[in-house]
Amino acid sequence: MQAKKKMSWTALLSILVILALAVTGCGGSGNKNTNTSPSSSSSPSSSPSSSGESSESASETPSSAPAEKVTLEFWANKFEPTTDAWFKKWVGEFNKSQENIEIKLTIVPGDAWDQKMKAAQAAGKAPDIRTLDYGKIANNAKLGAILPLNDLMDPTLFDDLYDNVKDFVTVGDKYYAYPKLVEPSTVLYYRKDLFKEAGLDPEKPPTTWAEVLEYGKKLTKKGVFGFSTAQNAGDLGWSSWGLQYNSAGHLPVTDDWSKADVMNDGYKALLNFYATAYQSGIMPKQQLSGYADATPFGQGKVAMIVSGSWAMGLFRNDFKDKLANIGVAPMATIDGDQTKPTATLGGWTLAIDGKSKHAQQAADFISYLLAGDPKIMIDFFKTSGFSKFSPRKSVDEAMKADPDASKDAFRNMVAEKIIPYSKAEPIYPWDISFAFSTAIESAMKGTSVDKALAKAEKDINDFITKSNLAGTNPK
Amino acid sequence: MKKNWSQDNLSAYVLLSPILILLTIFVVIPFFYAIRVSFYDWSFYQESTFVGFRNFYMVITDRLFGEAVMVGLKFALMVVPSTLILAFLFANIVKGLGSRMASFVKTSVYIPTIISGIVASVIFVFIFDYVGGLANYVIGLFGYEPKGWLADVSTALPSIVAPAIWLGFGLTALIMLAGLLDIPENYYEAADLEGAGAFAKMRYITIPLMRNIFLFLMVTGFTANISQFELSLVMTNGGPLSVTTTPNLYIFNHFRNDVMVGNSIAASLLLFLVLGSISAIIFKVLNSEKAVDG
Repeated sequence: MQAKKKMSWTALLSILVILALAVTGCGGSGNKNTNTSPSSSSSPSSSPSSSGESSESASETPSSAPAEKVTLEFWANKFEPTTDAWFKKWVGEFNKSQENIEIKLTIVPGDAWDQKMKAAQAAGKAPDIRTLDYGKIANNAKLGAILPLNDLMDPTLFDDLYDNVKDFVTVGDKYYAYPKLVEPSTVLYYRKDLFKEAGLDPEKPPTTWAEVLEYGKKLTKKGVFGFSTAQNAGDLGWSSWGLQYNSAGHLPVTDDWSKADVMNDGYKALLNFYATAYQSGIMPKQQLSGYADATPFGQGKVAMIVSGSWAMGLFRNDFKDKLANIGVAPMATIDGDQTKPTATLGGWTLAIDGKSKHAQQAADFISYLLAGDPKIMIDFFKTSGFSKFSPRKSVDEAMKADPDASKDAFRNMVAEKIIPYSKAEPIYPWDISFAFSTAIESAMKGTSVDKALAKAEKDINDFITKSNLAGTNPK
Repeated sequence: MKKNWSQDNLSAYVLLSPILILLTIFVVIPFFYAIRVSFYDWSFYQESTFVGFRNFYMVITDRLFGEAVMVGLKFALMVVPSTLILAFLFANIVKGLGSRMASFVKTSVYIPTIISGIVASVIFVFIFDYVGGLANYVIGLFGYEPKGWLADVSTALPSIVAPAIWLGFGLTALIMLAGLLDIPENYYEAADLEGAGAFAKMRYITIPLMRNIFLFLMVTGFTANISQFELSLVMTNGGPLSVTTTPNLYIFNHFRNDVMVGNSIAASLLLFLVLGSISAIIFKVLNSEKAVDG
């Protein structure tokens, strides 16, 4: 009997072990991917598309690799199909070009990115290389989540960058990421044929906010809205930075991040502009799509739309028949002075995870892809319809020799009339941008401008006190 | 005797072990770990620092958290009573139907239950679309201007209540029906003999005997609806302003955007307290009683 009892305990124990194994086996691959439509709030990503495609691996399974071959995980945000294709193509080329490093590319949709990344970081499995937008570099660097590249990459590669972009990736005296592209967040697109129909000169887009409102009214008719821009706090948070500089000359906090700075005429004018545009009926009462997605304009539902430069890539790839009627201009300014900033320069970089075990190999890949042969980057700018811009002098230099690029009217307009006056994206926590954009949204939805600003001021100051933000600006 | 006793014990342990192990791994350990983490500034790359109750302080003093809990309550107060009333009426109708018809109707109302919340949200996003949505088409027939259902501060929350009722209706109706069929028929026969009308039977027989069913549906309904998350995430992303930011969406937004994770965990634990107290209140108000069998 004793023996029998012993045996059943062993049986029980083995059942437990098997169960535990089964359970942990399940837990490891918990890779849930909720697919949602509104774009993730904080990332000013170029068309963060949220299509059903969850994540796919481009590389073939590493077969017959030499013993010392290093496999690196590389997560890229899902962008336009052309960008995804470009990543796959050149990761493949890189893997073929040498024997020592195998890059495993995973494309992650924008709205699943944050959860997936947090989960991977918590499990200590963050990818070695990732795409990162400029606005997040400083905070990640401060936390040690990304590595400085100074000792890992050839310093001359950084000399190739334009000075303002070099500043975007610098924290303290170190470079923390290598930039891939810059793109202004705010460009005005308008339909020339609809301008003509409404009796407006198609070569004279609006230059002041008053004109935007006036033209918008003339262009609005059944089935077509005169004007469209961001209209919820999530989108307004980042897309209004340029216009905040335009009207107020600064962003809603002081430079040392010690207190809110919103109670002034510039900000009042900005809120009034958004509120009037929304309430006068020239904008749809409920957004047709997110700010980053200019599809409704391509479909002819909107006569003037404000979106990022990336929208041109969308028009060139998906709405070829409409191109002749699409006019492009810098966003109108508060007083018509087109040398004032209207946009911030957003864009994407590659960075190396703070815990990567193969930082050198990761840096080698970045050097190859973004900082190497200019033809790799030219391939990218070409396929994206020249809707994005190079942070590297040598790439621009090489593009001058390229007839398509040098004659491209859109590229030249943006490069000459928007980028030189654009500002860098702010690096303070998103909560501040969001508190302010909530003020814009509440003004649009009927709160008085003074009240909305007073609330934003209080919210920003509260946030600063609670999170001890004063004086922590790393730049 | 003794032998039997140990044998019984053994099979009990074997049968209990799967659920005990699963609960330990997925509920007990994470729960205590979460409590520990909520006292830290938890970072994945640096040493976590102990901050005491600061995370809780931050959440409690955050106006948005209070608003989110209120939104959750309002949402649940709209969804749960309407679902219960509709389902109760529906179950009474089904009870009176012939068996073939009843099984057809039961199957059809159950369909929304097996549709995921995400899919339902997408369907309703199309319905509430500003240009070309069904809702605006219908009000257009009556000569009204199109409405921004999901963008208007006053209509956004009711607009996400609609799919919530649609999703919850089937299961609630079936549970109600099961409860109705469980009431012995002879009660009604006796009442008939006494000359009771339909309302008297409803008032004195049906509703009292359904008390435990109502209790169960209210507790689960409130808990599920206050923690509703995917409808507002997909349909409105918590907007306009924050009128559809449910507590779970608030926590999720913090988890996505915050550099440190402690804050969202503190908020989750506080939400746990809120949900626990609401369930306790419902239990207190509607005393659960053992059904008196006839």
